[in-house]
Amino acid sequence: MALEKEVATYNAKLPELLANEGKYVLIHADAVVDVYGTYEDAIKEGYARFRLSPFLVKQIQSVEQIHFISRFLDCHTSPVK
Amino acid sequence: MIIAYVGVSQARHNALMQAAQPVPNIVETSAMIDTGASGSCIDPTILNQLGLTPTGSISVNTPTTGGQPQLVSQYDVSLMIPCAPGHAPLMHLTIPVIQSDLLTAQGFHALIGRDVLSGCLLTYDGRSGLFTLAY
Repeated sequence: MALEKEVATYNAKLPELLANEGKYVLIHADAVVDVYGTYEDAIKEGYARFRLSPFLVKQIQSVEQIHFISRFLDCHTSPVK
Repeated sequence: MIIAYVGVSQARHNALMQAAQPVPNIVETSAMIDTGASGSCIDPTILNQLGLTPTGSISVNTPTTGGQPQLVSQYDVSLMIPCAPGHAPLMHLTIPVIQSDLLTAQGFHALIGRDVLSGCLLTYDGRSGLFTLAY
């Protein structure tokens, strides 16, 4: 799965990130870079710092929001752990 | 069904320019407005044309996941839906989309979900089989 290390970092750091629930965290490898008020700001900073290297932007949520799509789709998925 | 234009996000555009790499052309695609989709989706063929790599990961439930949420890659793109001449298009310079095979046989490569529709007025006239999308 892409961004596996960054997702693991998010899950590990989630308890301390929850102070900023609803905001967007920027993660590169195992480092939490910062938290931003909007998705756009986090993405902008991600490209500014890491250029075209992998980074993760994720909204901080105590309970992971599940997106629903009623259409039959193949989403190239892996089971949620 | 509508026509939408998908490109790299503004931030990725800038990163490509700074890296002296070519910026992929915006891709014209047929898109289905889908109020049953909480997030907008793009077919991998479009994402590949744009040379994108994932910048997000979210949980998604579809009829094909059997009731079990799945982790899905998310990409940042720009999205433009044109309007009648003389009117401003709907433009998102940076918006997250979900990667999903969109049944090319049905003739579309993108789903416009409620994340985009939340900024619009969608009216469906079932009697005449028409819809209007205002933004």
